[in-house]
Amino acid sequence: MCKDMPPLEKAIQFHGHICPGLLMGVRAAEFAQKYLDIDPDQDEELLAVVETNSCGVDAIQSILGCTFGKGNLIFKDYGKNVYTIASREKRRAVRIAQKYKPQSHPDSLRYRELKRKDSLNEAESAEAENLLGAIFERLMSTPFEELFTWRDIDFSFPAKAEIYPTVQCSVCGEGVMEPRAIRNGQNYVCPDCV
Amino acid sequence: MCEANVYLHRDGQEELLMESVDRIIPGEDNQIFMENIFGERRVVKARIREMELVRHRVILEAVPEEPVQRHTEIWLEPETTHGHFHPGEAVIIKLNKGYNMQADSQAELKDPKAYIVKPEGSRELELHAHHNQGEINLTEEIDGLAQIYVHEKGEQERYAAVLVEVGHHHHHGTQPIGLPLEIISTDYSHARMGENYEIQVLKNGIPLAGAEVKATYSSTKNRDYPHHLTTDETGRAKLFLTARGNYLFSVTDENIISTFTLVKSF
Repeated sequence: MCKDMPPLEKAIQFHGHICPGLLMGVRAAEFAQKYLDIDPDQDEELLAVVETNSCGVDAIQSILGCTFGKGNLIFKDYGKNVYTIASREKRRAVRIAQKYKPQSHPDSLRYRELKRKDSLNEAESAEAENLLGAIFERLMSTPFEELFTWRDIDFSFPAKAEIYPTVQCSVCGEGVMEPRAIRNGQNYVCPDCV
Repeated sequence: MCEANVYLHRDGQEELLMESVDRIIPGEDNQIFMENIFGERRVVKARIREMELVRHRVILEAVPEEPVQRHTEIWLEPETTHGHFHPGEAVIIKLNKGYNMQADSQAELKDPKAYIVKPEGSRELELHAHHNQGEINLTEEIDGLAQIYVHEKGEQERYAAVLVEVGHHHHHGTQPIGLPLEIISTDYSHARMGENYEIQVLKNGIPLAGAEVKATYSSTKNRDYPHHLTTDETGRAKLFLTARGNYLFSVTDENIISTFTLVKSF
């Protein structure tokens, strides 16, 4: 890449499209970077604990470099837009929680209504585009404290992700990470074949 | 009347939109917000056709789209996907004629002239025009930054301007070319999605206050320009950039239509 890609663009390219959930994740990731004074992760210097598997997590992965594949993205299936970002180097962690709002903005309601449709006509496509533009501007311009709460927390850092040996499943013949395989005498069986 | 059912009247038929509505708020741009006693909400683009209070019925009708007031304009678009060219790359600039960044197949370019403006001076460029499209090949012309503009004379004077970048440069402001009507960027290098972008309109070099500037982007699905800005007393206006790709700003004054293409890296 010949020019530094802005964090927002990284998130959009990773996620595939722009949506309100992703933008909220962008706000949280950018805040964490500034608050903890950290650079994007290279090799597990950072750790993210996310309490949702919705769009915003892709911003955490792409902007902060805490990824599923690297093992420094820990998913807790709580259905909450809460992100804890921790820095091993700084020995600090911040828990960022999206504020609950009982009433959605009419723009957001209409946008969701349109997105639920199987197909949109020309006028509806233009309307959805304009609504997303308005939501985009609102989410990126709203002061962070109106969207999220945050607090420093004590965080016990787990060991960095381990690399385990691969063994062969005696049923399907495919390789499987040893700790995930079931020992059957001298043989291993993968979870899929158990 | 307590709550009512809301219907949409369309093509002689009534379609039930929402039952037991207890709140209806007309908004801007023909939008109607409604909420029912179950807490469900909905926003529709319509206007109230009839209220049958005794029968607890509110009938809306869809608002027909206003016909787009089009004027034909010209604009320039560099053939690059990431905002600038690399040294040694073919540097091709396309000239289009149409509206809202959508080329009009019925439009014809009428002897447009292209110019390059550099700090050391300006001169005419070769422009190959055919039907509603033209092409300028700058491969041998520039290394660095150059402002390119095209002028089409006629009853309606048309101008199109763009800043072309070969290599990587840090540039914060561009000098006006000196067109009779011109849009310039006040901080060209700071064009990022998710942030405000500021332009200034100059008429004969003097800031033009109160001018309507229309703005669009290449991926829009809108038939008409999605953004309408008004310049302040210093001729400036800001737009929050929400789309990827290039933006086009257009201003009209008397018989002149002038456009400026913002070429974004992302």
